[in-house]
Formats: sequence, structure tokens, C-alpha cells
Amino acid sequence: MKFAPNKLYVESYVKCRNCGVLIYDAGRADAVTKDDAIYCSEWCVDWEADRDRRRAAAAE
Amino acid sequence: MDMVSLNIAGGILVSICRDMGVTLMRTSYSTIFSESLDFTCGLALPSGELVATGDFCPSMIGGMPLLLRSCVQEIDLAELEEGDVILHNDPYRGGLHTPEHTFFKPVFVDGALIGFSVAIGHICEVGGMAPAGFAGEATEVFHEGLRVPPVKIKRAGKDVDDVWRLLLANVRTPRYNYGDFRAMIAAVDLGERRMADLARKHGIESFREHVAALMDYSERRMRAEIAQIPDGRYTFEDYMEDDGITADAYKIRVEVVVEGDGLIVDYHGSSPQARGPINATLGVAWGAAYNAILQLTDASIPKNSGCFRPIRVLAPPGTVVNVDFPGPSVGGNTETHCRIANTVMGALAPGLRDRSAATDGASHSNFLFGGTDRRTGEFFCCYDLTPVGWGGRSFADGNDAVGGINGNCPHIPVEVFEFRYPWHVEEFRLVDGTGGPGQFRGGLSMSKTVRCTDTEMTFSYMSDRQKLSPWGIHGGQDGGRAELFIKRAGSEDWLTITQAFNKPSPSKFANVPIHPGDTIRITSPAGGGWGPVEKRDEASVREDLLDGFITPEQAVEIYGLRP
Ligand SMILES: [Zn+2]
Repeated sequence: MKFAPNKLYVESYVKCRNCGVLIYDAGRADAVTKDDAIYCSEWCVDWEADRDRRRAAAAE
Repeated sequence: MDMVSLNIAGGILVSICRDMGVTLMRTSYSTIFSESLDFTCGLALPSGELVATGDFCPSMIGGMPLLLRSCVQEIDLAELEEGDVILHNDPYRGGLHTPEHTFFKPVFVDGALIGFSVAIGHICEVGGMAPAGFAGEATEVFHEGLRVPPVKIKRAGKDVDDVWRLLLANVRTPRYNYGDFRAMIAAVDLGERRMADLARKHGIESFREHVAALMDYSERRMRAEIAQIPDGRYTFEDYMEDDGITADAYKIRVEVVVEGDGLIVDYHGSSPQARGPINATLGVAWGAAYNAILQLTDASIPKNSGCFRPIRVLAPPGTVVNVDFPGPSVGGNTETHCRIANTVMGALAPGLRDRSAATDGASHSNFLFGGTDRRTGEFFCCYDLTPVGWGGRSFADGNDAVGGINGNCPHIPVEVFEFRYPWHVEEFRLVDGTGGPGQFRGGLSMSKTVRCTDTEMTFSYMSDRQKLSPWGIHGGQDGGRAELFIKRAGSEDWLTITQAFNKPSPSKFANVPIHPGDTIRITSPAGGGWGPVEKRDEASVREDLLDGFITPEQAVEIYGLRP
């Protein structure tokens, strides 16, 4: 979550690209940036890559 | 910790939540609380983890953990004072949709914060483009009423009058909203007192130990249940038939991955977010997954954050299951929640055959209206829900005409409805032949015909299942679809809303004018059937025929009954 410097409004809602949770300040330590997207954790990066692999294989 | 004291502690916590709910019901002004019980109450830890909840509205039970988790990250806990009450309804910060207002009050014992007392409920009128909310044609959250980030509505026991003034200036029914807010505050006041009394009586450390043990126990019980499901990947799809703006359907896709004693619910592959108000918030996406798993597992597992620990939910942002700002979402909590929950249940049906069920009608046929009272000059609003048929199960037919699986909300009794609002109820009945055929038949739907007596009103609606039928499972057949018709005063023609008002959707629209003598007929969707019709025993078919639950034609043509 990106709040305005005065803390009175939200500038942008920062969500994990895979699981969709809001990433607040406390969650920043675990967050990972990849391909210009933010993820709440390495787990979500790995899950998304694995899912893409599985679905591509199933489509072949 | 011994099971006896653990169960006593759990029972006391749940009974506090139930008493909070009864307080809310008895002190509220609006029928959505006093008759339809569209709320729930809970107790939580300072971390936001849910400790106990009353068994009122399932969508809110599953929605509370994320909502509390979001709020505690925005509140400075060190700044909280005894007697504070915080209000929140923001759909993008853990909320479910703008009408769902959450009040939570910190609970202190000897100066230490031990948790929160929480009441969440559907406030009937929230401003926005349509009286009583649920603007079926909303295309942004600003059409759906006032959005409230976590703010203090009471500070150290005193009303924050400026916040009250701001809230009540933005709705059509300020006196009712004031009364309903007070009812919710009465509920959290009671929860605060009882929770603090409990901790004082047994000591804070003992209280914390029991609560931690209770959540661990729930987690163990849930893991044991999940471990019974064969490992694997289970998928299912269903659709929302339109979004109120265009005729396009929106896909809900779910893959449930079961690994040992945990499971992952992945919605990746669901449609991009809709322009209209059918989008689910993240809170709804979590709540629907939790609701589905609770429907499929042992009902005696204590409902707290512990039982949700083995479940991980993945809802990609910008989709119909996780709306991004400023997308609308008011129908997501009533219509899309049940579609998602049933999709999760449908996915797991092969792995949990004995506990599986066909879908319920899975729409609340939300009936919203408002107008000016001719006697008092005061504006009134009403939100009523319509019962649906539930799905057939592995051991019994679906229930006829009960609240949908995410609401558990009774409709307003006819006597109360006619006394409070300018409608005459001409007919209210089960609809014969609508239950999905199967070895175990789907529950019947309900039809309600109401005639406006003497007041000009506006009418809005939020529903689904008029075009796409509720599905059967394991060879069971589809249940009957929903319908909505209007007959204008002086006319004999029953028209759909599209025919009468050129609305893009027959089930989602806002602000249709109603004049005295106009008549509306609402028919809810029915439940799907379970198992093939050939396996239904003949005695049940004959009994259904005698009861009028199936038609003579269905008995012969579908069930093969010989005269
Ligand atoms: Zn994530």
C-alpha cells in the first residue's frame, strides 16, 4: 500500500501479482520484484512459474 | 491443555458472539438486521486473528480474517484507547462491499490490549446511485456509496461527532443508519465487556493460552479433514451470466490443489474484472473459499483463524475475483461469492463424494426499493432477500427455499413486510417442478408476487441465474432458473425488466420507477440434483408427486414413473 506522505489517502493499492494480497509496510521485507511486478513472497513467484509451466505443458 | 477446559473456553467465546448478535438484532432499526440477520459478530486478537464468531452470516465469517488483518496494519495499536470504536467498509482494504460495515472495539484488561470485539453487518442504505444500495448498473465504487477507511467513530468512550455528521450526511435514511450504527456499537460494547470479564476472571495469561490452544486445535481438526481428501489437482468452472452493463458472461475458474493436510485454492484463469458490479473483492474471494471448505468439513470445528491456516487462497488482482480500485463490487458479495464457493465445492466433489452437493440456486435475488413515506414524509429504504433451493446431497434432497449458502439470511416475514412497507404480498409460494432432478432432488425455489399499494418508489435489483441454470452433480440435472417480471398498473402483461425498461440485464439494474398498482413477481433459482435420476427410489418420486413438488409430466418423462 502506498500512502500519501501526509497519510491521509492511498496513492496506490499494492497487490501481489499471484495471490492478490495487499502489501503493507510490514510485508515489504518478504516482497519480491520480478519483471516489473511485485509479489508478496518467493513462494508466490515460484508458484506462478510452476503454474505457467504446468499449463503450457498441458496445452501441448 | 485438557479438552474439557478447552471446550468450555471455546463455548464461552462463541456464546459471547451469539449474545452480541442477539443484541444487534433486537436493537437495530432496519429489517435487514432485525428480520434478515445480515450480520455476524466475532472476537479477535490484537494481531487481527479471529478467536471466535457467531454462526450468523457465512460470507462475513470467512471475510473477517482478511478484513481484520488489513485493518490492524493501518491502525497504530499503541494509540488505541479504552472506549475507542473503529468503523470500516472499504472494499479494497479487506472489505466485502460498501454496505458491509465493520465496527471494532479494542478490549483492554489492566491497560493491556488483549483483542478486539467485532461486529460486521450490511447497512441497508449507504448513499450512491440507488436507494438501498446494490446499484446493478454501477461502473465504479463511487456509484456504490460512501467508502470509509478505518476511522474512529468513538474515541475514549465519546462519539466523534464530526465523523457521525459526515457519515449521516451522505445517506438517504440518516435516522435509520444512526439506529443501526448504535445497534452495532451496542454489540461490540457487549463483546468488549464479556471478553474483558473472561480474561479478568481467569487471568490474562490463562486467557491467551486457552485462545492459542483453541486456534491450534481448530487447525489440527481442519488438517485432519483435509488429509482425508486424496492428494491431487481439482478444477471446476462456472459463470456469472452478465455484469449489468453488457450481456457477456464472466468465468470463475478454480483449481484446488490438495497436498497432504493443506490445500491451495487458485483462481488464476478467471475472467478479467467486469465493468459492472459483480466483481468480488479479495475479502470475498477468501471468504468464499473458506465458506466452501467449511461446508465440506465437520461442522463442529471451532470457527477461528486456526481452521483457516491450512488453506491458501490465490486471487490475481484485476480479475472478477479480486477487484482493483475503482472497480465496482456491490454484487460480488452476494452473487459472485456463492458462485465462487460453489465452484470450489464443485471442484472438490470427486474427492469428497459423500460430502458433495450440487449447487444451490446461488443468487439472493436482492430486492431493493426506497421512497418517501406518505404519512411521515421520511425517506425509507428496504433490502430484502429471496430464499433459494439448495442442491441435492449424497444422502438427501436439497432443502427447499432457504437463504443462499453465503447469506444464511431469512427473508422478511410477510406480516412485517406489509406492515413496514407499501406493498401487498399477493402470493408467496414454493415453485413446483423446479428442483434439479436426480437421485437426490434439488430443493425448490420460491416465488413472491408483490403489488405496490400507494407510494411512488424506485426499485433496484441484483441477481443472476436467469440465463445459466444451477448445475447438478454426479449425473444430477440442472435446477430451475430465476425469473423477474413486472406488470404495470392497468396492464395485464407480465414483462421482463429488459422489455419494460430497455435495461441491458434482466437481473441487475438500478432505479426502475414503481407506481401504485404496479406488481412485481420474483422467482428465485432452485437447487441442482445429485446423482442420476434412474437411481431415485420410486417411493420418493411418488411422494414428490403427491406433495406437488414435481409435475405429473416430470414423474413420467424424467423419473420414468409408470402409472
Ligand atoms: Zn502472493
